Amino acid sequence: MPIPAIQISGLTKSYGNVHALRGVDMTIKEGEFFGLLGPNGAGKTTMINIVTGLVFRDEGTTEVFGKDTVKDFRFTRSKIGIAAQELSVDWFFPIEKLLVFQAGYYGISESDAKPKIDDLFERLGLSKKRESRLRQLSGGMKRRFQLAKALVHDPDIIILDEPTAGIDVELRRNLWQYLRDLHSQGKTILLTTHYIEEAELLCENVAIIDEGEILKKGSPKDLTRELGTAGITVQLGNVRNGMESFLDGFTFTREENRFHFSVKDPDSAMPKIIEQLSKADVHIQSIESKVSSLEDVFLNLTGKGINE
Amino acid sequence: MNWIGLNTLIKREVGRFFSVYRQTVLPGLISSGLYIVIFGFTLEQRISEIQGVPYTLFILPGLIMMNTLTNATANTSSSMLQMKLLQQLPDLLTAPLSGLEISLAYIIGGTVRGVVNGILVLILGVFLTDLTVADPLGTIVFIFLVSWAFASMGLILGQMAESWDQLAMMQNFFLTPLSFLGGIFYSIKMLPEWAQSLSFINPIYYMINGIRYTILGISDSSFSFSFWMALILTVLFTTIAILLMQSGKKIKQ
Repeated sequence: MPIPAIQISGLTKSYGNVHALRGVDMTIKEGEFFGLLGPNGAGKTTMINIVTGLVFRDEGTTEVFGKDTVKDFRFTRSKIGIAAQELSVDWFFPIEKLLVFQAGYYGISESDAKPKIDDLFERLGLSKKRESRLRQLSGGMKRRFQLAKALVHDPDIIILDEPTAGIDVELRRNLWQYLRDLHSQGKTILLTTHYIEEAELLCENVAIIDEGEILKKGSPKDLTRELGTAGITVQLGNVRNGMESFLDGFTFTREENRFHFSVKDPDSAMPKIIEQLSKADVHIQSIESKVSSLEDVFLNLTGKGINE
Repeated sequence: MNWIGLNTLIKREVGRFFSVYRQTVLPGLISSGLYIVIFGFTLEQRISEIQGVPYTLFILPGLIMMNTLTNATANTSSSMLQMKLLQQLPDLLTAPLSGLEISLAYIIGGTVRGVVNGILVLILGVFLTDLTVADPLGTIVFIFLVSWAFASMGLILGQMAESWDQLAMMQNFFLTPLSFLGGIFYSIKMLPEWAQSLSFINPIYYMINGIRYTILGISDSSFSFSFWMALILTVLFTTIAILLMQSGKKIKQ
């Protein structure tokens, strides 16, 4: 069995009487795009900070490619690039110099780091700003710089803590595309977000976390299939006596010519419903399906919306 | 050992204070020049000599020492607190750098600032007075040792402080009074006996007299005692600073 990129077992952390993490188990495979989904204060950042070495764990283990993040911190930290939620401020140096320093902390000399820095500036649209100080950048540019800082040592694992918080839609979509490109290059990506759309669009697997506990893990599709409730509504042109016998096995409600089916997976249910209605010899005027989203799943699991 | 990481952080720390030399280098030079011109030249009319040395020359080693230790302390303490408050510290703490490497880099950065400021005031003194340094190598070694010790102390203060106010309190209520009471402007032999006894528990008294000996060849305390005191403070503060950084106190949760 291949060694996971990140393996967390029985992880607990308390701040005084507040239990930030209550025995979290989580595995992220190498090359996986993984989302940690939860409201503010759920424990996402604490978990990440323990893996990266910013926070001490109380109990449990955290491993990166099979090595302990405390005992083998040099190995594990060199594998990770993190774009933190909080934007740092530096008054003294131009951003190019800051990236040279960042690479240096990871043992990369200035001459070796230069090509990567040029590439990142080009890719993230910061080339014209390389001599600027951080305070001279717009909010969106600061976010992109934050990402450049996480990538400058070419890490295998990229951890992004709320990477698109507070940025405009266009930039968000550009960043998503960049993250997809990084993923296609084989990078393991761990993303925390409270934007459901972000997790649904990007992540192969997600874990839903609330009040320091992982409530559910799986692919967004599997989770919505298992826990979401989708609906298919069919408007018929005519009805026939006894037609309902053709719909045995389906859960539906009827209001005159309008039938509403509750299904787990609308993609597979819809052709079957159409087939059975055709056998019943009725005319379908319109058919529409409402797909369940991860938001419904979150609501079902936690009893609250993600931004509450 | 992550040598490139250590070297990078040293470069950052040294580059940081040189980039704002108007705040970190020039003020000490200007205030020392003013002390020499105003205190030295005017008081020299009244206090002709102390221990056979003109008053202006007598105060010069103390000014060098005050400049050295306040700058060394300020560099590490302010840089550490600034990194904490401006969210820059996570960049270091998530990198493959050990507590030893981070603390050494900070201490070396502070030492460079202390040495640069100390040597510049010494050069200024040579220009403004007819100073001839008795033991140039001993002077540089002493400035280096004191810079290292107080850079380490500054790092401890910076890590423990939670606000600029707390840091300013340490500077204004302890470091500056202890420097002035350490005998910059006077020989403790001019004080009443009880005040002399108090001076003996002030470590900065030994720093000032140590450098006074290497520059002028005179001292209130024995040079070997001053040297050992500087060495002990250096080892003590360095050890505490490294252990504190490794413990993550106040910088990791």
